[in-house]
Amino acid sequence: MDVAAATILGKLIGAGLAMIGAIGAGAGIGIVTSGAVQAMGRNPDAAGNIQTNMILGIAFAEAVAIYCLVVALLILFVIG
Amino acid sequence: MEALGINLPFLLVQIVNLLIVYTVVAKWIVGPVGKMLETRRETIAQGMEDSRVAAEARANAEEEAAKIKAEAQAEASKIVSEATERAQSAGADVKAAAEAEAATAKEKALAGIDAERTQMLGDLRGQVAALAIAGAQKLVGESLDEKRQHALLNDFFAGVKDGSVVVLDGADLKGDSAEVTSALPLTDAEQKTVKNDVLAKSGAEAVSFLVDPAILGGLVIKVGDKVVDGSVAGKLEGLRQNMR
Amino acid sequence: MSETKSKNRTWARWVVLAAILLGVFLFTGVGLGIKPIMPEVFLPGERLSETPLFGIPGLYLTNTLIGMLGADLVVFAIAFFVYRGVKSGSVALKGVSGAVEALLEALENMTEGTAGKWTKDIFPWFATITLLVLSANWLGLLPGVETIGLLHEGHGEHSVRTVAGIQTIWDDSAEMAADAHVEDTHAEEDTHGEEMATDDHGEEHHGAAIIPFFRPVSTDLNFTFALAIVAVVMVQVIGFKALGWGYLTKFFNVKHFFSKPIFGFIDFGVGLLELVSELSKVLSFAFRLFGNLFAGAVLLFVMGSLVPFFVPAMFYMLELFVGMIQAIVFGMLTMTFMAQATQSHGDHDEAHA
Repeated sequence: MDVAAATILGKLIGAGLAMIGAIGAGAGIGIVTSGAVQAMGRNPDAAGNIQTNMILGIAFAEAVAIYCLVVALLILFVIG
Repeated sequence: MEALGINLPFLLVQIVNLLIVYTVVAKWIVGPVGKMLETRRETIAQGMEDSRVAAEARANAEEEAAKIKAEAQAEASKIVSEATERAQSAGADVKAAAEAEAATAKEKALAGIDAERTQMLGDLRGQVAALAIAGAQKLVGESLDEKRQHALLNDFFAGVKDGSVVVLDGADLKGDSAEVTSALPLTDAEQKTVKNDVLAKSGAEAVSFLVDPAILGGLVIKVGDKVVDGSVAGKLEGLRQNMR
Repeated sequence: MSETKSKNRTWARWVVLAAILLGVFLFTGVGLGIKPIMPEVFLPGERLSETPLFGIPGLYLTNTLIGMLGADLVVFAIAFFVYRGVKSGSVALKGVSGAVEALLEALENMTEGTAGKWTKDIFPWFATITLLVLSANWLGLLPGVETIGLLHEGHGEHSVRTVAGIQTIWDDSAEMAADAHVEDTHAEEDTHGEEMATDDHGEEHHGAAIIPFFRPVSTDLNFTFALAIVAVVMVQVIGFKALGWGYLTKFFNVKHFFSKPIFGFIDFGVGLLELVSELSKVLSFAFRLFGNLFAGAVLLFVMGSLVPFFVPAMFYMLELFVGMIQAIVFGMLTMTFMAQATQSHGDHDEAHA
């Protein structure tokens, strides 16, 4: 195996591993949405407020996955 | 940094661009739209207020209508109860009147019955009296013999003489002819006495003497159209009248 | 009205069906057998010319710069139409400006619920960021974006062909030609080749990629960092406006420094952490938007190259949704941070991603 092929192999594996972090974000978004939907079911009047906060929470949770994605992209496309 | 594509000039360009966009948005989108939203909100609030007022007015009208209806119902029920009451009292009046009438009718009937009874009683008494008088007449007629007849006449004459028996008032007893009825034919003396004493004041010229046994005894003197009954039958008749 | 509507719908149904059939015909062995190509992915904005703009070193005409100008144009057009609509004195706007107005009304209600009396200061930023990011995101979904551009040699691994007078890269893996002719590469391109009529073979050569003319500006870190920096700076500005110099005690908390020795020191440390978190907000903002949009673009590339028809439509729908969500999230986070900055510290225990 030459160096170029090994580099490509390493990049692909590294990017794949980097995206493992998305698991946490997925679980987090699920928990956030579950709680929000339950809250909306209990108190439909506050649905607007809850939805706003839910989207904020999802955004924060998703940010983790985005970091993973950025790292993966950096590995794939940026690092020599 | 270079690998990520970040370079300062481009970053500055982006920032400047963002500020320009901010100015445009704030001035030409947010401002007018905000103002428009404000106006619209006011319009809506105004409309809501109007509709609220209208609803209130309608509620008031409905309330008033309900009140009027209730009043009308109350009045109607009052009228009905009054009418019922009046009808009842009218019925009672009618009943009372009918009862009073009935009572009057009853009374009248009772009175009629009383009167009838009285009359019947009177009649009965009259009949009894008539029967009794008839019996008495018969007895008197049988018991009056000639002697007694003359005694009776003498009593009569005597009474006339001493004034205890006022047979004839001078003024009243006036006529051209006189009729004297007796049960037995009068004696001459008696006739004379009659002419002198009894008929002197009357001025009667012609005196006719009649005999009627039905008068039982005594004299019946008739001057003109006046009659003086001094007979037993007349006395009995008077008795009978009194008994009735 | 309903009749024409249903008529339109029938028409749209036929169009969708025809598009699916066209896709099947173009991209399968039944028809022309065109193989879709996974485009070359570049993280930074690609330069369209090698000479710096206005002689400023480092500033080149990149495709994201054109994307930025496109987004600006959209926002300016919205501003123009909205302003004209409002000037006409109508109570409710019509068409696109009506949709913008509805969006703004929803956003303003949100702002008022969170920021209260500071709505007047905060809302314009919310609206600006949302509108700009939204138009930037949705512009990337137009057909032709990221597919029409310049041929650039030496990057890719696909050969170039001229099809119906248009040069395009072509997947030749089946009929790999050995020889490669170097051609002048600056020509218009069409990767998916939807107007391809004939199959005439042109010159082939290796190592070419397409540099699109237009790329959504949200996939450029410069744009997202610019937005993030301006947003965070404005958060501080509004914080100073609301609390005066007392705003600084949020970061340099010396209130209990002497009265309660241990906890005062901890409070001071927490204040410094706040300062760090303000900086991390910039990174968070920038990478969230960039990551979402760039990943979305790559997702579309990959899906388009794997299943060329029908399936990418679903992902386009997803990207439509993501683009809107990210625009609103960026604006909403800015708004929330600004609203927090207007409140005196003590109750700002918000998570900082």
